[in-house]
Amino acid sequence: MSTTNDTGADIVDGILDAAASVYRFFEGRGLQTLAVFTIVSAIIPLTNPSGFEMTVITELFLFGVLALSWDLIGGQTGYPSFGNMAFFGIGAYTTAILVKSFGIAFPLAFVVAAALAVAFAAFIGIIVLRLRGGYFAIATLGVLLASQQITRNLDVTGGASGIILLQTPTAQEFYYLFLAILVLEAIVVMYLAQTRFGLVLNAIRDDEGKATAMGYNTTYYKTAAWMLAALFTGVAGGAWSLFNTFVDPITAYNTAWNVEIIAMALLGGSGTVVGPILGAFGLHGLIRMVIDTYFTGWQLVVLGAVVITTVIAMPKGIVGTIEEHASAMEYYKHGGQAAADSSDADVADPGDGTVDDSGGDSP
Amino acid sequence: MAIEQYVVNGLLVGALFAAVAVGFALIWGVVDIINLAHGEMVMLGGFVSYWSVDLLTGTNSASLLLALATVPIAVAVIYVVGYAMQRTLVSRVTDEDMFLTLLVTFGLSIMLQQLAIRAWSADPRTVNVMFETTSLNVAGLVIPKMKLIAFVGAIVLTAALWAFLKLTRRGRAIRAVAQNPEAAQLVGIDVEHTRATTFGLSAAIAGGAGAFITMILNVQAQMGLIYTLKSFVIVVFGGIGSVPGALIGGLLLGAIEETTAGVWSSKWTLAVSFTILILLLVVKPSGLFGPAVEGDE
Repeated sequence: MSTTNDTGADIVDGILDAAASVYRFFEGRGLQTLAVFTIVSAIIPLTNPSGFEMTVITELFLFGVLALSWDLIGGQTGYPSFGNMAFFGIGAYTTAILVKSFGIAFPLAFVVAAALAVAFAAFIGIIVLRLRGGYFAIATLGVLLASQQITRNLDVTGGASGIILLQTPTAQEFYYLFLAILVLEAIVVMYLAQTRFGLVLNAIRDDEGKATAMGYNTTYYKTAAWMLAALFTGVAGGAWSLFNTFVDPITAYNTAWNVEIIAMALLGGSGTVVGPILGAFGLHGLIRMVIDTYFTGWQLVVLGAVVITTVIAMPKGIVGTIEEHASAMEYYKHGGQAAADSSDADVADPGDGTVDDSGGDSP
Repeated sequence: MAIEQYVVNGLLVGALFAAVAVGFALIWGVVDIINLAHGEMVMLGGFVSYWSVDLLTGTNSASLLLALATVPIAVAVIYVVGYAMQRTLVSRVTDEDMFLTLLVTFGLSIMLQQLAIRAWSADPRTVNVMFETTSLNVAGLVIPKMKLIAFVGAIVLTAALWAFLKLTRRGRAIRAVAQNPEAAQLVGIDVEHTRATTFGLSAAIAGGAGAFITMILNVQAQMGLIYTLKSFVIVVFGGIGSVPGALIGGLLLGAIEETTAGVWSSKWTLAVSFTILILLLVVKPSGLFGPAVEGDE
């Protein structure tokens, strides 16, 4: 790990060493970190940021929620969903229709939207969660596209032209709303990660057959995780429809965002709590601050490139790679023995065992 | 129009769906990759055909001979694209988890689609093949000549691929790699090259079908995903690695889509296809013509 000569590898090593130290500082201080993050975020609107800054930060929170929700099912449970945006669209449309056509106040509309998204997830989950790997991914993509097509063809949803919403809360209210959703979800996921529930999800990811053999009703656990992901995605969709003041099938069931949230979770490090949030902030920040300004119109090209590069160069994501490095350092410090066992156990590994590529057989 | 007419229209288009799906199934069976960028090969093939015609005539109209001459060009160009894709990018994750290959190919799909929009805009384009009379009348049914030719072309492409796999040495190598890559390596087959060749062939047949699709329907930068999913429906229906299954699946899907469009409304065709996809996956994920799935609860 020394930097006696300045080759590229040594520089990378140096960065990783520093990152590993930072990682070890924060390790086990999840709640404190979240508290600091919440306080800092809560203060930002008081410092008179511009409207653009407020919008971008609000979007960061939104994508944090989406990426974390995806990770719950894709990273923690190992079911790589390509259809999470279906819940988002259902939440968005339910809220929009209730507010616009029925004049229902929006807090109540969110509750109904979330309930509908969860109910939809339960129904679809029974069907698609029997599949694994590629079959599951394609089936969920099919669910997303079918939802988009059906929404486009119905009258109640305003067809292809969508619904315009005018009576919406202020930018500041949205800021705190999305922040609250994100913080709440982070607490829930952090808590679950320590409970039996979270461990069973990881067991399903690593080897569903064994988890079943150990007596766990894996269908119950994975359906619960799937519904929880739908709950937060649906609420976020509901809030977003008002925030955006407009919903239509293309944006509410956004297939580009669908990949973006997966890229965020993977880039940050799936199977962790902080990874997807960091990935969401980093990638969306990059897109809004750099690409929108300097490479207008190339966002999706860059997104595709980021997905490919992440998967090929860093399949464990940023947090996963640092975690791995931290445990390797620990290992060397103790003369190449011991220590590794304790840290090895919590190395998040989105690759191995996430999916069974042998086919769509349910265990 | 009578229902038979819709079915005939569907069967004519369905053969092209089948050809695309055979390519999709080939790469899935041999390299164990679900190529989510497969539809983009159809799109690129279509654009090769369109731009070849544009370059030679300055318009989008072509005589039948010229239009057909663009098909081998599309096949050749897209073969190279597919080969290069496997060699440079996809091979890096071939032996990893299938989820990672899905993401890489999805990333490629977005990039190709967006680059196509940047280069050629999102407008649909078509190659207009000139005939003196555009359609035949058989037993009260209208059969557009170009659709009939595209139908035959799709069958020829599929048959050629099938013959290549069955009869040539390289085809045998591909089948060997599909069965057992390690054993294939032991007997001296260059596995990486064979896989890239397979990827190239898979892309090439999609590109050739894309050229025909440009002549009978149109080519558009964002058409890819729909063809990928149609291929998936067909392969799931027919079973991976079953060429006859894919052919039947393609014809059936075409007939169902056209009948939906004719009897109900064309805006429901995609919703119906995706619903069929989900139902098929649930009922029989290994395909109606594939092996039985083991380990059902």
